[in-house]
Amino acid sequence: MIIRAALCPCPPLLARELTGHDPLVAGLREACAAATARLVDTDPDVIIVVGPAPETAAWDPASRLDIVAFAPALGPNGKSGLPLSLGLGALLLDQAGYSGPLVLQAVGENEPWAGCAELGNRLAASASASAARAALLVMGDGSARRSLTAPGHLDERAAPFDARVERAVRDGDLAALAGLDAGLARELMATGRPAWQVLAAAMGTGQPVTDVLYAGAPFGVAYLVAQFDAAPNGCRPARYGPPRR
Amino acid sequence: MAIVNRTPDSFYRPGITWDEAAALERVHTVVAEGADIVDIGGVPAKPGAEVTVDEEIGRTVPFIEAVRDAHPDLVISVDTWRNEVGRAACAAGADLLNDTWSGWDPKLAEVAAEFGVGLVCSHTGGLQPRTRVFRKAYADVMADVLDRTLNLAQRAVQAGVDPSRILIDPAHDFGKNTWHSLDISRRLADMTATGWPVLVSVSNKDFVGETLGADLEGRLAGTLAVTSVAAWLGARVFRAHHVVETRQALDMVAAIKGDLRPARVLRGLV
Repeated sequence: MIIRAALCPCPPLLARELTGHDPLVAGLREACAAATARLVDTDPDVIIVVGPAPETAAWDPASRLDIVAFAPALGPNGKSGLPLSLGLGALLLDQAGYSGPLVLQAVGENEPWAGCAELGNRLAASASASAARAALLVMGDGSARRSLTAPGHLDERAAPFDARVERAVRDGDLAALAGLDAGLARELMATGRPAWQVLAAAMGTGQPVTDVLYAGAPFGVAYLVAQFDAAPNGCRPARYGPPRR
Repeated sequence: MAIVNRTPDSFYRPGITWDEAAALERVHTVVAEGADIVDIGGVPAKPGAEVTVDEEIGRTVPFIEAVRDAHPDLVISVDTWRNEVGRAACAAGADLLNDTWSGWDPKLAEVAAEFGVGLVCSHTGGLQPRTRVFRKAYADVMADVLDRTLNLAQRAVQAGVDPSRILIDPAHDFGKNTWHSLDISRRLADMTATGWPVLVSVSNKDFVGETLGADLEGRLAGTLAVTSVAAWLGARVFRAHHVVETRQALDMVAAIKGDLRPARVLRGLV
């Protein structure tokens, strides 16, 4: 079963060397480190990193982010291979000292809900089948159109969209995440949409207990760091009410 | 190449030449300061309020006529990506189409061919005009720059543009982060080695500001440093806000190279 999930953003700036002298957004880095540490602390049998990429595909768990593709001065010519979202997820886990089994699963940035649900169900099912205690590290961002200087400039619909996502996360409302409008998310450059929908499906029914460690858009892109704990009593509690004692 | 923007909202000193009289005065000034080309643009590169084709023509074309009138032999370039604007600008006397959006409108090259004017072939990593770079990664940014600009140059030749009037421009910061812009600066010799004349537009750009931690008004020294490196590596055209300083930096580099005689040598010779 999926015992815990963490949501982390995936801007390249999370790779510390990319921002030059100035570390920038220390608060965001700390929140990502805390969320990842909490994931590793559950001592899972496997951690599955889920993140958006051009195509839905599993990647070699040994591959790592090629920062040279973003900063040629930092090494010999790189090969853009591993998608940024997965690369940053793996980096966060390396920094948290995790060396256990890892899955790197990309979900296509245009994958519709049905495909995300299928992927999420498959990840949960394969964890159940092997009686594994699996943790998910879900990478993805809200809208990149939050300000005049944002990468996507300003779209007035962006802040309300991000607020809805944050509300859904705070409430542990998986149905609201499942119901996000993929077209609107794409127009708003909210790259996290498919990854959040994989999460929604993977965590099953029930209401997870959540904790938001960071929510903000300091550079016009919405970053959200959060933790989801499986609803008490296993994967599918809510339909069946609280446990009888 | 001196920048004279006909916009209210370009990134550097916005609106300073929005008034036509002020703009014309600026042209007289930069010509006196040694500018070889005046680059007239009507749309800022950053996202913002839409500027229609008609509005862009209104901002640039009558002004081009006025500049042509006042300076019959000056090379006038128009900073546009749109073929309709290019056409009207050429009819008014423009000599060069400075397309900073990498051939987004394929008909612009045809306009250059039809009017026998020059064309700049630039690289933006595929960005739509007036959009910002977002998490762009390159296996090899200079290889990508060469591939795109050389392709556009060949396409232009096939469309009938005079090969001696084609320039290539890596377009610093367009679809590139600061690291990428520094790398294309370092590797500019790869572009100049192709034989196509290279245009660079680095003046007051964000990669200079991010490298030095300098705001918009503090980037002149960094700009001149990149300008000098580009000149040393063989670039031929330098799009600049600060004409006097750029002229001096280029003359200094030319003198070091042996391409320019010093103005007045007396010390040690008396």
